[in-house]
Amino acid sequence: MQRIETPMRRFADGEEVDYAIVGVGAGGGVLLQRLARAGFRVIGFDAGPFWDTERDWVSDETGSHKLYWNDKRITGGQDPLALGANNSGKGVGGGTVHWASFTPRFHPSDFQTDTLDGVGADWPLTYWDLKPYYELMEKELPVSGPYFPWGDPHSYPYGPHPMGGVGDVLIHGCTKLGLGVSAGGPVAILSGSRADRPHCIYRGFCIQGCKVGAKASTLITHVPDALANGAEIRAHSMVSRVHVGKGGLGKNRRVTGVSYFDAEGREHFQKAKAVVVAGYAIETPRLLLNSGLANSNGQVGRYLMAQAGNVVLGRFEELIRMYKAPPAHALTEHFYETDPKRGFARGFAVQTVGPLPIAFAKQLMTAKGAWGWGLRRLMMDYNHWAALGLLGEILPNAENRVTLAGEKDQFGLPVAKVTFNLYDNDKKLIEYGKQKVMDIMWAAGAKEVVQEARYAHLVGGARMGRDPGESVTDQFGRTHEIANLFICDGSLMPTQGSANPGLTIMALAARIADYMIAQGDGIFTSDRRAMEPPAMRRDLSPPDTWGHGMPTV
Amino acid sequence: MSKPGPGYYPGFHTLDQKKFWDAATRQVILERVHNVPEIRFFKPEQARLMEAVCARILPQDDRGEAHKIPIVPWIDERLFTDRHDGYRFEDMPPDREAYQLGLRGIEEIARHLHGKGFCDIGIDEQDRILETLHDARPPAAPEIWKQLPIHRFWMLLVQDCITVYYSHPWAWDEIGFGGPAYPRAYMRLERGEPEPWEKDEKRHEWTAPGSSLSEKFTHVAGQAEHRGGPQGGTH
Repeated sequence: MQRIETPMRRFADGEEVDYAIVGVGAGGGVLLQRLARAGFRVIGFDAGPFWDTERDWVSDETGSHKLYWNDKRITGGQDPLALGANNSGKGVGGGTVHWASFTPRFHPSDFQTDTLDGVGADWPLTYWDLKPYYELMEKELPVSGPYFPWGDPHSYPYGPHPMGGVGDVLIHGCTKLGLGVSAGGPVAILSGSRADRPHCIYRGFCIQGCKVGAKASTLITHVPDALANGAEIRAHSMVSRVHVGKGGLGKNRRVTGVSYFDAEGREHFQKAKAVVVAGYAIETPRLLLNSGLANSNGQVGRYLMAQAGNVVLGRFEELIRMYKAPPAHALTEHFYETDPKRGFARGFAVQTVGPLPIAFAKQLMTAKGAWGWGLRRLMMDYNHWAALGLLGEILPNAENRVTLAGEKDQFGLPVAKVTFNLYDNDKKLIEYGKQKVMDIMWAAGAKEVVQEARYAHLVGGARMGRDPGESVTDQFGRTHEIANLFICDGSLMPTQGSANPGLTIMALAARIADYMIAQGDGIFTSDRRAMEPPAMRRDLSPPDTWGHGMPTV
Repeated sequence: MSKPGPGYYPGFHTLDQKKFWDAATRQVILERVHNVPEIRFFKPEQARLMEAVCARILPQDDRGEAHKIPIVPWIDERLFTDRHDGYRFEDMPPDREAYQLGLRGIEEIARHLHGKGFCDIGIDEQDRILETLHDARPPAAPEIWKQLPIHRFWMLLVQDCITVYYSHPWAWDEIGFGGPAYPRAYMRLERGEPEPWEKDEKRHEWTAPGSSLSEKFTHVAGQAEHRGGPQGGTH
């Protein structure tokens, strides 16, 4: 249950702030909190509501429709992505409100797929640059889970969760096949209470928003501390344009603020010394394209990625009741790294999924073609089914992208068009990975196994890189084109690994924050680009971060 | 609610637990049960056709009249308020238009095959017509399916029916889904064991009453094309 008692600051119209952050999700939420704590004057804009979790959220699939980005978007290409509830949040907390909250780190190899495998792209930073921020975020959220043996092995501040039926299926199947398995996490769900946040009650509605307050979202982990430190959140405010001007610094263009529509549809202008776009992989490129910014090299919107998210359903003689326990509670990364014997680059993870009745019925519709009496009969066996998800790395491709469609939204702004195609390596990986997940399901004792093709997550679309001709920002999210325009969300990622992106987005945001704070007023007054990585600030964490658990490796 | 409903969990009624639900959840679910909206989007003849179509997509002949779950009013409400899922396939018209076109298509197929409207033929014939949508092999109305990819319309229609039916607590009773559990919690997470307030499964032979063509469904035609169908979040 969320309680935010702090009165919120409200900057007056016409008052210039230091930073305007567009989007208060995983990236924007962490950044807002840190900048506020460091004393900057900062506003976080969000197109959706500032949730009152007890009043606004429900334990109900249909009743949770409002948590998602439901505004108009067009999806196309040979392999079109489902958007909305599948991957797009709206409202303060953004995607962290409806994520299942698996929080594995990326592996060291994910940061240099070009060097190691000749595919994808190298990041402008390494795993070791990000590692301290992973550790920090795992404590701030915090993350519960057992010792994690893959990638760079590590442990977690909170202990693993008890198993549910689907987790048991994954453990049985993996054990039979000799595959390692991580049970009870890593998830950003409290396995024990901490400060005023209660422990998990295993009600199963994680992706409908955690009313309990056990699952981390920036709404409850970082936003309250941002407000306590003088940040303003301007909810129901849809930013329509980032403005540029000369800014008194010679011929270089500088951003001067943002235009936004308020809840009544009135347009306003907010002056800011710097702007951070944190609207995730579709709205960030869309806003930059609608503003005509940071795109002189034509890179904005390109290299959009989703992960292969095939769901494998297995029917068991015994009862499972997969609605209990968090959908996210066990995984294996046994197949994560490239294995040349497989005939494709990179790999995949296998994770528990716990679809509630509506989601499950739709999966049966696509996996089995079920309708009519057949669907009714299958659904009567809901409690006999378990669901496991493939999470496979799809490689970045310049033609998988966000562009502007001819159609407009309710504010008269051109909507995003998303074009997505699978390429050869992706198809081979999905075929192989899906088969492995089915093998695990059979090995666990399923009597029938079917699968549904789908995707999970979104990243890319405004990637960071060392080469200004081939990317939109540097490693600190600063756009190559405009020195006081930053990006801070999943759209920065040059590749995506086979890990859920949330934790990495937050770790990047904390690192970007440290950079901004280290640069201080220099960002507002100069076009000079310092490229030295910042020292990590451990004093900017929300209260109650320290003194709770001591992970040992 | 004394009459045993369909399913393997006799005597299980999630609504009996409503005093243990939080207020916001209780309000949303009771509203759904007790406040079924009037038809405002569909014209009367369209609403009648929708009733006939939805009665085959999720047949409820095994439910007593008082316990049939209303489906069409909620699809109508969604279309009337123009609420959608945040994306539209580039080859699809907007949902409202899709329904207008799709219903015309179904009616044209019925007239082509039987010389009568869909509502005026037997349920076996109705099932066979819907199967042509499921198989994406419509025997009539090619000009409509040119504007409306038939496999996407089928997914849209079935998805909408599913969303309404399985959001109703009577459907939860049928499948043994425990429903909301905040603030009370679930305690028994493993081996499919019931909470003290849930029921254990009691399986019995079950045959679909009436037409059973839709019991022998096959994979949807052109499966590969359906990647990116109607999907919520997973992992």
